[in-house]
Amino acid sequence: MDFVLDYISVNTFWTILFMTHALLAVALLGALTHQAAAVLSRPRAAGSAGGFITRFRSVSGPSYATAVCVLWVITFILGGWIYTKYRIYVRIPIEQEGFYKTLGAFELKEHLTTIGLGFLPFYWHLWKNARNAACDSARKWLTVVLAGICWYAFLAGHVVNNVRGFGL
Amino acid sequence: MSASTGNTESDSPLASRFGTFSLVFGIGFAIFYVICDMAALPLFTYHPGTDRIDFGYAPARRDEGPAMYWYGWLASSALGASALGFIATLLPEKIRCRLPLALAWVLPLVLLPVLIYSLNFYWRW
Repeated sequence: MDFVLDYISVNTFWTILFMTHALLAVALLGALTHQAAAVLSRPRAAGSAGGFITRFRSVSGPSYATAVCVLWVITFILGGWIYTKYRIYVRIPIEQEGFYKTLGAFELKEHLTTIGLGFLPFYWHLWKNARNAACDSARKWLTVVLAGICWYAFLAGHVVNNVRGFGL
Repeated sequence: MSASTGNTESDSPLASRFGTFSLVFGIGFAIFYVICDMAALPLFTYHPGTDRIDFGYAPARRDEGPAMYWYGWLASSALGASALGFIATLLPEKIRCRLPLALAWVLPLVLLPVLIYSLNFYWRW
């Protein structure tokens, strides 16, 4: 990747990487939230128009599954890449400031997203068998758990970014 | 035939080998990851300051910055979970279909307090 640094500064490179990670996380959060809302809601009566919330949860869950898996994996890889810089340039200054709970919240994010990653193949398999009623409960609650992990990860990452500041 | 649900074994998402592998992989990965974290069992240690990689657990070296174990925990857990998942696919379909699907979402919830406890160093008030 060193050739990239012939054209952009090191700071710009990591900024682009971080922004991409953050934007993909937003896309993942949106997809999983839609899907979780869809599995938690009762099926809409045919012909009913519905308002914003009804439309929000009226997505076709199966069509989101592959996108969620791909987004989770790419966001995870980018996060894992940025993590090397986080360890030196973000975590150490936050330790010096004594914001240990912030660091703990971030460590928990890293653990939960890793565990979520391990369940993605099964999540994908459940959604690929969306017509199988035997999968309904597991599919529903695994989707909700993954959405919860995603929300937590998003907020914890956001808080760490706010604590450390950007481009320092 | 399951009396309570009316589902047959072939209805189970675990009837396919991939279904079994993916569930057992997920369960194994989560459990191995927590064990690797709490028992400090990374497959390798990465030193980001010097780009050095040591096999297994290695403490941070003086004047070389911190050591990172997370990548090593991932590798250890993935290896262990893959082996476990592969072994599970060799089981007869009858046994594979008895695995509770609910473990996929119950286990992360059960492990959450364990993970929070493992981070007790950070919860200083």
